[in-house]
Amino acid sequence: MAHPSKSGLRKKLLSIGLVLFGVQAFWGTKFVYPEWSKEYSPVIEGKDLISGSLSADQMLFALAGFRELIAGILWVRADSFFETGNYDAILPIIRLVTFLDPHQIDVYATGMWHIGYNFTDEEQRSDRRYIPSALALGKEGATQNPTTYELFFETAWLWYHKIDDNYEKAVEWMEKADKVDDIRLQPARRNLLSRLYERNGEVDKALNHWFSVYDIAQAEYEADKDRRNFSLHQNRDTIENNLDTLLIRMSQRGFFASKEGRSLEPYDVSPPFDVGFGAKVTVTAERVLRVQGNWDVLSIGTRIRCILRDDDFPDTIPGGVLWDKSAEVNFDPSRDKTYMMELMFVRNQRFDKTIDMSRDPTMYPFTKKNYILEFYYNPRSAPEHIQDKFGWNGEGMTDKIKSNMRKDIRPNQNVFFYSMPISRDQLLLRGDWRGKTVTLKSPGYRETKEDYNVDDAKPESPMLGGQK
Amino acid sequence: MRPILAIAKATVGEAIRRRVLLIILFIATILLFVAPLLGVLSQRSEQTVLTGFVLGIVQLSSAVIAITLTVYMLPNEVERRTIYTILSKPVQRYQFLLGKYLGAVAALGLMMGLMSCVTLIEFGIIQQNWSKGIELLQGIGMFFIQMSLLASVAMCLSTFIAPLVNFFLTGGIYLIGTLGYAFFDSFNKNPNAPMFSKGLAWFVSTILPNFASYNVQNKLINPETQITNPIQYAANAIIYGLVYITIMLIAGMLIFDRREV
Repeated sequence: MAHPSKSGLRKKLLSIGLVLFGVQAFWGTKFVYPEWSKEYSPVIEGKDLISGSLSADQMLFALAGFRELIAGILWVRADSFFETGNYDAILPIIRLVTFLDPHQIDVYATGMWHIGYNFTDEEQRSDRRYIPSALALGKEGATQNPTTYELFFETAWLWYHKIDDNYEKAVEWMEKADKVDDIRLQPARRNLLSRLYERNGEVDKALNHWFSVYDIAQAEYEADKDRRNFSLHQNRDTIENNLDTLLIRMSQRGFFASKEGRSLEPYDVSPPFDVGFGAKVTVTAERVLRVQGNWDVLSIGTRIRCILRDDDFPDTIPGGVLWDKSAEVNFDPSRDKTYMMELMFVRNQRFDKTIDMSRDPTMYPFTKKNYILEFYYNPRSAPEHIQDKFGWNGEGMTDKIKSNMRKDIRPNQNVFFYSMPISRDQLLLRGDWRGKTVTLKSPGYRETKEDYNVDDAKPESPMLGGQK
Repeated sequence: MRPILAIAKATVGEAIRRRVLLIILFIATILLFVAPLLGVLSQRSEQTVLTGFVLGIVQLSSAVIAITLTVYMLPNEVERRTIYTILSKPVQRYQFLLGKYLGAVAALGLMMGLMSCVTLIEFGIIQQNWSKGIELLQGIGMFFIQMSLLASVAMCLSTFIAPLVNFFLTGGIYLIGTLGYAFFDSFNKNPNAPMFSKGLAWFVSTILPNFASYNVQNKLINPETQITNPIQYAANAIIYGLVYITIMLIAGMLIFDRREV
């Protein structure tokens, strides 16, 4: 048998090489790349690749496998920006770090808090246009880190503490947090779900959850034979105390009577208390409002929400916004939209606050022609001692002007809502309003010459009280 | 087969005597030992940063070793004229090339083995986390396939390109094959990316070796990451690597066979 010639062997090798080249192209594109892209790629679906904000060397290092290291270095750098108060510079770093290492839980949590709370005007009113981004960041963080309760909890906390209106969402996120095992290491956070149920009007769920966390706390306390851990003792007693208080409140607010279909007449929520709302808004200077009013609820702890917004501000509902409508983390909210929210503190049945928006044109651009001024009070946000009269759902609350009490804007609640239109010309004292004083009054506003800022001011109306 | 093994053995001996490789290895080992100090960069994710850094060091230093080791292999033999002595014996050119390649891969394996031992000591003894250390060996194992592929590319190019040019060319191919894939992937995942970019990315990624497919750190750095079928994926990637290595060696043999030495 003759040996193949050298050129024949070369041709054979070349053919094998070409065939193998086809095989690698097929194998690579069919079996390797798609799986790599799905499971191992640094590029997250729907997001751009980390880009210009990283320097070339950082980019190279990040892509070469040092992502976590670069993320750590960037976050250390962000710390110095926190110290110097350069808050804007922190935003891109938060985004970069979470792109590079989506498992940096602290960065998500700090980032949410930072963008939700720290961007304020000169009078420390936070820029609520950032809230959708803070929520979206929390949602992204929770999706990336489903094995820890932390970002579910942080998102729930933002709904509860910052937004302080839509407790249904707070409950939804806290229930997710409660399902993750590591929340057991943080009893105080675990207990929060009961509070949220209560705020959301789900009182029986709150009670059941207190019972369930009490059982856990009692078991933990029993397991600590040497009684070395005082916090276990304290936690059990706190839960017990909260449980007792809730049972008393359920009774006094007529919860059990209501469930059994009995009259609420003998209970604290009856008869409904007339809040006696009235407001006067004066534009004292360009972009400066003085908001005065009467609110007959005594004495401490009432804060009425006052909102000034574009009349076409996106996703609004009376007294609020559907904050989680957008799932996009956008650190540069639209500069042509205005949304101001202030809490009017009531003292001796009166509120009086000057809101100066003249020093923050980027936060309050006033580019639209028409605006809405809203006054909103949700009994579920009220402190406990006021809620004892108003009830969880506002059943013990009314106003002389019946149209101010609304049952149609928040599910299963009776809330206070009043709105009045105001134009850009009025706010900026321009056009027909140049040189004039703009004053808007709601029905029910009572003028007074009394100084209601003194501690012993005589109340104008009957005080809030329970059953005699 | 015997000449191939003899050449491979000689190549390993030669490689472990080369100072430049030992220096790279020494630096890598030092970096691996100081890695835990970087935990300060992330207070609650010390393990994450440490794991990422250790894997990064192993990958980067292995790549530098693989390229430095192979780009000089053939040109040095020609320059020192030792190739004449070898080829005058009953050794075919393809056997010489294959022996050199296998020797380079074995030397690379030894050096990466040393780095693996340091990693094991790092996690097992210092961090008291043996399971993590053993787990990381999977990632280093994948890097070994990646470096073998890289060595085959450098070996193929060394049959007709000067060492310095080869060093940068192989380095460039490695960069495109690792970092470039992240860009290609971002084109593919972005519905707004122009079709031309997507087409170009597909074309380049079909021709050039996909080094990125051996970067499987996700699961190792973040244990909560769920990977559907890691064993099947590893098997596919290894098959891909072996096929590509064969292509590179065939191309190298064909070119080297025609080359005048």
